[in-house]
Amino acid sequence: MRIFNRIVMILLLAGLFVLGVYAVVYAFDLFGYSLSSLLDPIKAAGSGAQGFMRDVQSGSLAPLAIVVLILVALLGLILLILELKPATPRRVRMDKGTFVTRGVVQEEVSKAAGQSPDVLGHSVKTQAQRKTGARVDLEAKVRRGEDTGAIQRNLRRTVQEYLGSRGIPVSKLNVNTVEADPRQTKTRVQ
Amino acid sequence: MATDIQVARVVSVAALATEGVHAMGRGRYVEAATYDGAEKVSGVVVDPEKVEVHVVVRWPLPKPIPEIAGSIRERIVPQVGGRRTIIMVDDLEVGADENL
Repeated sequence: MRIFNRIVMILLLAGLFVLGVYAVVYAFDLFGYSLSSLLDPIKAAGSGAQGFMRDVQSGSLAPLAIVVLILVALLGLILLILELKPATPRRVRMDKGTFVTRGVVQEEVSKAAGQSPDVLGHSVKTQAQRKTGARVDLEAKVRRGEDTGAIQRNLRRTVQEYLGSRGIPVSKLNVNTVEADPRQTKTRVQ
Repeated sequence: MATDIQVARVVSVAALATEGVHAMGRGRYVEAATYDGAEKVSGVVVDPEKVEVHVVVRWPLPKPIPEIAGSIRERIVPQVGGRRTIIMVDDLEVGADENL
C-alpha cells in the first residue's frame, strides 16, 4: 500500500507541477497564451458541472453515472480499508523481542526439504506474520507415480522437526508436491 | 551515563562473544548501526527506548536460535541501562568445513 500511495502522490505532484507551468504561461501571457482565452473553456466545463449537480439534486441521474459513482465509492472504501490494515511485518517473530529474517527461515526449510530422498527439487516461500511464526509454502518436485500423500506427510513432519530443533516457529506450513521428470530437476538420484 | 556509541560498542563485543554468533548483521532494508562523529558500530542500533542487535549466526547451529538470542540478551541486558532489547537474526553463515 505504501508503494501505491507513493505512486498516487507522484502522479498528483506531477499534475500540480504541470498545472503550475500552465498557470505561469497563461498568467504572464507567454507564447501567445493569455488568461482571457481560458474563460470560454472554463465556462463550458462549469456549465457541464452545473448540469450534473442539477441532475443529482433532482434525482434524475443517468444509470451509467449512478454506476460510476457507486464504483468510485466502492473504490474509496477498498482503499480506505487497505490503508487502515496494518502492513505485513517484514521479519518473523520468534519469541518476545527475537526476530529472524524470512531468508533465514527459507534457508532452513530448504535444508530440511533437501534431506528428504523423495524430493528432486523444491521451492520455498515464507511470509512473516503479525503473530509468532512464519507462514511457509513449500513446493516439492517428486518422481511420477510416487505416493504424493505419503511424501507430503513425511516432508511436513521433517520440516516441522527440523525447524523445531532450531527453534524457528511456523504458524502455517503448506506442502505441495508436483510430479516432475527427474531429467529436468536439480536432483536426479538421492 | 554511557553514550549511545559506548553502549553500542559494549553490546557489539558482548554479542560477538556469544556462542553461535558469527558476525554482526547489517540490517536488511536500512543499515543497522549506531553513529557518533566518524565512528560507526555496525549491527547495533541504540535509541533512548530500545537496543536492536542484528546478528549473523553460524551454521550448523550450536543450539536453537531462541537459545542463542537468550544468551545474547543475558550478556547485553546489564549493559543497556534498562532499555528494551530486540535481537534480530539477519542471516546464517555456513562454516567453511560444511560442504553445502
